[in-house]
Amino acid sequence: MSTLDLANISKRYGAKPVLSDVSHCFETGLTLLTGPSGAGKSTLLRLIATAEKPGKGRISWDGAALPAGRTALRRTLGYAPQAVELPEDLTAREFALHIAALKGLNASAADTQFGAITDAIGLHADINNRIASFSGGMRRRLIFAQALLGAPRVLALDEPTAELDGETARKLGALILERAKDAIVVMTTHLADELAPYAVAVLRVEGGALIRTA
Amino acid sequence: MIAISRSSLTTSLLRYQRSWGLWLLLLVAPIGARLMIPRGDGSGTAIAIGGHLPVMTAAFLGVSLGIVVSTLLLPVAWIYLRSNTNRRQPWQIEEVTAGSRIAVALGRWAADAAVLLGVLTALTLAGWMIGWLILPDGGFNAGQIVLALWLVAAPALLGIAALRILFDALPITRGGFGDFLYFVSWLASLMAPMAGQDREPGLAANMYDFPGFVRPLQYGAPPGTNDFAIGGLDVLPGHVPLDVMAGLFSPGYIESRLAWMVIAIGIAMLAGLVYRPHRATQRNLVPGRLARLSAVGPPPAAVIDAPAPRLIALPFAGLVIAEFRLIGAGRLFKLLAVTVAVTAFVADFRHTASPAALLLMIFALTAHAGRSEARGLLALTQTTPQSPWARRLAFLIAGTTWSLLLALPAIPGHGVSVVTQALGTGAVAAVVAIGLAIISRSAFAPRLVLLILWYGYLSAGG
Repeated sequence: MSTLDLANISKRYGAKPVLSDVSHCFETGLTLLTGPSGAGKSTLLRLIATAEKPGKGRISWDGAALPAGRTALRRTLGYAPQAVELPEDLTAREFALHIAALKGLNASAADTQFGAITDAIGLHADINNRIASFSGGMRRRLIFAQALLGAPRVLALDEPTAELDGETARKLGALILERAKDAIVVMTTHLADELAPYAVAVLRVEGGALIRTA
Repeated sequence: MIAISRSSLTTSLLRYQRSWGLWLLLLVAPIGARLMIPRGDGSGTAIAIGGHLPVMTAAFLGVSLGIVVSTLLLPVAWIYLRSNTNRRQPWQIEEVTAGSRIAVALGRWAADAAVLLGVLTALTLAGWMIGWLILPDGGFNAGQIVLALWLVAAPALLGIAALRILFDALPITRGGFGDFLYFVSWLASLMAPMAGQDREPGLAANMYDFPGFVRPLQYGAPPGTNDFAIGGLDVLPGHVPLDVMAGLFSPGYIESRLAWMVIAIGIAMLAGLVYRPHRATQRNLVPGRLARLSAVGPPPAAVIDAPAPRLIALPFAGLVIAEFRLIGAGRLFKLLAVTVAVTAFVADFRHTASPAALLLMIFALTAHAGRSEARGLLALTQTTPQSPWARRLAFLIAGTTWSLLLALPAIPGHGVSVVTQALGTGAVAAVVAIGLAIISRSAFAPRLVLLILWYGYLSAGG
C-alpha cells in the first residue's frame, strides 16, 4: 500500500509561520482537512502536490524522500487547486488534453476518460465550448475533472465542491469516494460534516498545528 | 517529450489563432511596410550610408525591411509576445505534472516563433508588392527581397521569442524587471554591432551583430563610406550604390545568422532547464531594509462601530486625490521622490533631474495604470457611480501633478520654464501609461514604450 509521509514539516511566508512541525502519514482513503480560513489548509495541499517546498521537514512518497521522489509522485498525482489561470480561449476538452499530455497520458484514452468524468459531473455537454463561456461552477468542475485524468494514486483537492449546487456537489462527492477506494485523497471542503463518516481521517489545521479529530 | 512539445505548440497556436492581436499584427505589418522603406527624399525611416540614401534595388528593399524589423520593431514584437493571450497559463496545474519543462518551453517557443515568422511572411508579401510598384523596370527580384529580409530579420525574431521564453521561466524576470532587462539588452543589441564593425569580416565578427545590419550595409558599400545610420535622418542629395547581395554573401554572414538561430533554440531549451515555479503567495524579492522601505506600512487602528462615510461634495476631487495617493504609494516611491526633488534643486534640470523624475514616474504610473485596468477590477469599478473614464481622467491629472511637484524645486535655479517641461513630460507619460494599459490590461506594454521614449528624451539635445 502506498503512503505519503509528512515528517516535521514547517512552512512560513516571510515572517509569518503557517505550519509548524506538522507530521502525518496519509494512507489510501479520504482524508479531510478542516480549519478556519487562512489556517494553512491550502498550503498543506500545495506541499502534498509538490507545488511548494517545505521550509523544514521531509515529505516522502512510497518511502522515497522528496525531492528525489518528486517525479515519481508527480507521475501519479492529481491536483485541483482552488484558483487556476485557466486558458480562456481553449475549449475544456483542448485544455484537458493538454494537461493529459503533460501527465504523459495517451491522448485518445485521456479523451475518452475525460468524457466519462465530465459526464458523471454534468459537464459533458459543454466540453467543446471555450472556457471563457464557463460559469464559476463549471470552471471548478473542469479543474476537478483534469485532476482525475489518468489513474492518480494521490489526489489533492482544494475545495472542489465550492460554487456548486447541492446535487452537483453530491455527484462530485460520489466520484471522490469511488477514487478514495484505491488512492490517497486529501481534500479541503465545506462539506466536511457530510463526508466525515466516509473519511479515514479528519485533520484540523489550526495555529500551525495538525490535529486529528476523527 | 515530443507529445508534450506538440501539445504546447498546438494549444499555443490555437490560442494565438483565436486572439484578435495576431490578426491585427498580420494586418498592420504589411501596411506599415511602406513606412519602413526609405523614400526618395529621405523622409520616413531611412538607412543612409555616408549621409546618402543607397540606390533602391530589390535586395536593398528587402534588407531595409529586415533591418527595421530587427532593430526598431523588436520592442513591438516583445510587447506582443509578453502581452498576448498566451501570457496566462494554468501554471498551478502544469507545474506539478511530471512533464518535461524543456519540452514545454520548446513547444511554446516554436509557437511564438511561428507567429512572428507568419508576420514576416506578411511583410514579405508587402515587400513584393512595394518592390513591384517602386523598383525600376527589370529591377524587381522576388528572391532577393526574400533572402535579404529573412536573413536579417528571422534570426532576430527567433531570438526575441527565445528570450521571452527564458524571461518567463524565472520569477525575477516574469514582471517589470524583466521588461527593464529586455530594454537594456535591446539597447545593447543595437550598440554591440559597432564592436565588430571594423573587424575582418568573418563569423566571429558577425556574431556581435544580432540585428544583422552591419555587413549588408558595409561590405558592399563603396570604399571609404564606412559610416551608416538608421532611423529618422537628414540625408544628403544623391544616391550611393550599395551591393547588398555582396554583404549577404560576405564571409561568415550567413553562418552567423544560422548560428543566432541555433542560439535561439539553445536559449529556449535553457529556459526549460532553469525554469522555476511561480509562487502561490506573494513574497518580497527584495530583502531586508529595502523590503521594509517599499512596504506601504502598517494599517491604521480599527475603529469599532465605525460610521458609514458621508458622500463628499466634490466626488471627482476625491478621485484625483485617491489616484494621487495610489500612484505615490509605498515608502520607496516617496524616498525616491524626495531624492529626485533634491536633484532638481541642485543639478541640471533638463539632463539630470527631469529624466530622473520621468523614470520614477514611468514605473509609478505604469504600475498603477496596469493594476487599475486589470479586467477583474475594471468589472467592479464599472458598477461605481464614478465611471472608469472619470478615474482615468483623475489618473492623468494626478500623474501630471506628481511630475509638476517633482520639478518645483528646480524653479529657483532654472526659472518657470521647468513647469512647462514637467507638465509636458508628466502628461505624455500619464497618457501613454493609461492608454496602453487600457489596451493591454497590464503595466508592461506602457512601461516598455515609455522606457524607449525615456531613452529618446534622455539622449536628445535641448
